[in-house]
Amino acid sequence: MMLSRIAESLYWLGRQLERAENVARMVHVDYHASIESGALVGHVPRTWDALIAATGAGDSFAKAQADDPGRSPADFLVLARDNPNSIRSIVGRARELARTLRPHISREVWEEINTLHLSLNRRTSVSEYELYDLCGSIKRSIETVFGLYDNTVLFDEGRDWFRCGLFIERTDMTSRILDTKYHLLLPTALEVGGPLDRYQWGAILRSASAWEAFRKGGRGEISGARVASMLLFSSDFPRSARFCVRALLRHFGNATELTPPPQRVGPQRLITILDLDLAAMDIRRAMAIGLHEYLDTLQSRLIEIDRALANDIFRALPESV
Amino acid sequence: MPGGMFERYEQLAGPDEMFDRDGSIRPAYRAFAERLAHWDVAEYHLRQSRADLALLNAGITFTVYSDEQGTERIFPFSLIPRIIGSREWAHVEAGLIQRVRALNLFLLDVYNEQRSIRDHVVPADVVFGAPEYSLRMVGFEPPLGVYAHIAGVDLVRDQNERFVVLEDNLRTPSGVSYVLENRTVMVRVAPDVFPPHGVAPVNDYPSRLLAMLLEVRPPHVTEADCRVVILTPGIYNSAYFEHSFLAQQMGVPLVEGVDLVTHNERVYLRSTSGLEPVHVIYRRVDDAFLDPLAFRADSMLGVSGLMSAYRAGNVTVTNAVGTGIADDKVVYRFVPDIIRYFLNEEPLLPNVETFAATVPEEREFIRRHARELVIKPANASGGYGVLIGPQASDDRIQETLAAMDAEPRQWIAQPLQEFSTIPTFQDDGLHARRADLRPYILTGASTWVLPSALTRVALRAGSYVVNSSQGGGSKDTWVLTDDDELDEADTPSSTATTGTDAASRSSSQSSSQSATG
Repeated sequence: MMLSRIAESLYWLGRQLERAENVARMVHVDYHASIESGALVGHVPRTWDALIAATGAGDSFAKAQADDPGRSPADFLVLARDNPNSIRSIVGRARELARTLRPHISREVWEEINTLHLSLNRRTSVSEYELYDLCGSIKRSIETVFGLYDNTVLFDEGRDWFRCGLFIERTDMTSRILDTKYHLLLPTALEVGGPLDRYQWGAILRSASAWEAFRKGGRGEISGARVASMLLFSSDFPRSARFCVRALLRHFGNATELTPPPQRVGPQRLITILDLDLAAMDIRRAMAIGLHEYLDTLQSRLIEIDRALANDIFRALPESV
Repeated sequence: MPGGMFERYEQLAGPDEMFDRDGSIRPAYRAFAERLAHWDVAEYHLRQSRADLALLNAGITFTVYSDEQGTERIFPFSLIPRIIGSREWAHVEAGLIQRVRALNLFLLDVYNEQRSIRDHVVPADVVFGAPEYSLRMVGFEPPLGVYAHIAGVDLVRDQNERFVVLEDNLRTPSGVSYVLENRTVMVRVAPDVFPPHGVAPVNDYPSRLLAMLLEVRPPHVTEADCRVVILTPGIYNSAYFEHSFLAQQMGVPLVEGVDLVTHNERVYLRSTSGLEPVHVIYRRVDDAFLDPLAFRADSMLGVSGLMSAYRAGNVTVTNAVGTGIADDKVVYRFVPDIIRYFLNEEPLLPNVETFAATVPEEREFIRRHARELVIKPANASGGYGVLIGPQASDDRIQETLAAMDAEPRQWIAQPLQEFSTIPTFQDDGLHARRADLRPYILTGASTWVLPSALTRVALRAGSYVVNSSQGGGSKDTWVLTDDDELDEADTPSSTATTGTDAASRSSSQSSSQSATG
């Protein structure tokens, strides 16, 4: 037995934590990338723009910069209170959720989330040279929460909702990370496959924590097709879209074991079809559609699943007693 | 004297919990003082900062104005505990059980037979004139006849070194989570000052609470089938931490009004597996907001139809609706008579002497002695509208007396109440600060008292105000379990003095004294 409101909150706790961890990882990697590739092409801000676009905050950053041209993109991504997708804002929401969820999570999980929130809240600014360490520690802290969750919270329905949120968010973030390459235009078409191109794809691998997995998989030289193929369709890399949707399907099935079928069937159908599609798809066909267009469709399907979960399960009105 | 921290310790007018008048350490504090002697000021600071960090990380905080800047403060926690010897505690415990039993019998009576009103134990206008008297409860008897399942009674030690009752809290008394958390922190940061035989543990509270809630379930529900929930107004309520803490400790759902629905006079909660029946609701929502159909129609916090389900006997609400009539400030004046009437016993814990303006001869007394009394409105809290006679202007006194004559039911008066101090660290060392004591009492099939309490302490020099909202702090409260070797003649309660000297010296210091709640 689990309150619908609590199930929804656990789902969102998983989403927010995963989102914050991804943004921290992207900043962590891009800090290096922006300095190194700046030396290669001479225009630093590009990577930051791509990154801000990937968190869905492109418009609000443009507005913030119009008000204050000196506005630092790093600060906007990490600490800005006026950016709902800054790490501080996301962690703040996760912490509010965790507060309502105190009876459902362990003291260890709560204290780790609360400590992270308090430490971010105490900061007034972050300088460029602190960025690497700060994002590294945020990442570690959230990974600690995931580890503590695994090892201190009951194996019940709530855990499956938490995991549903985590995996749907991870699918979404992986596709967004991949999509940043779309925003990183190369100076000329001739450079596709060149050193800068390879460098950018390498940064994307690192942003998705996929660098070593890519190397271990013996996937050869870094190329757009190979990187995208792994991040979308690998069945054994734990951040690939295919892997995450498979996990989402499994946790959704566990979570809704006792849910009356009329409430369950809508989202179940959407997740199942997405799972089948990802298994049947390959990178050649995705690139024929256009990678950016393919990722766009993937993201809208995730939005549809999210909406179905909210309408059919979390906020459904009971039909009868 | 331990570690130099007491160098400038000055006792106030009232008694001190740790020291006798002559400066010797009282028996209950001896073992503690020996251990504390190993600390110096630097050590104290170190322990205090560890305690503060532990409370902050655990989220035992309240937010200062908007969360925009996220300024969060912990409730100040003071490391020097209140220590009560086992013999004195046994007396307090017996007194509390007696008081809560009598108040529950009084509640059953005023909503059913009303013998105590017919027999003039409590004047009819005092009962029926109180806004807390709930017409929806008339002629209804909750399971086991219990109304005040969870009670918190505020005590202070007076000039005569006796514990006296300042106020009863019978609606939704809060603070017990701080008792448990304070102990957790104390054991963690100051294990070296605990006495060799330990102190009475507090961890039992959540399981006792759950057992009590199961005892008062609707009679037709089996214990195995019984579902208990805690109903909270939500995350923005100042006691939300406590609600979630208790739900977690008991392993029961913490629900908000939107999570519950009623159907055919039964209550259900909305779950991912459909509607699930609910049988006992430990509500932390006030009467007025409980059921928009029965009380305030604009309530977003309650559950429509809850009162009907309650009266049909399908769900138990704790504390019962209408319990507030028994902790009304005017009814308080009559509690000693209530104890004598229902139990045929003398009260073990005295009241503070109280005059109710609704009783003609007492109103006359208040009028003649207004200069020496504290005059309070009966149903305001937080010290609002309180007149401190010795400090008030003539105009203010006349104003208050006129208000009293217009609505006698709304006014009471008490002599200025002096109470005891406990050493409390500030800046450079320990200073005497006044503290009260709120024990928690659970009543189901029987009545049980948690062997500890919330000790709230006034942090400002000379202050009588212990409320956390007004700069108060809290302390761990130790009930000793193995101190029989202590000489009874040394315990504070039996070294009673008349205390007249103390009382006369203190009269200039009071602010809004004994404003609790």
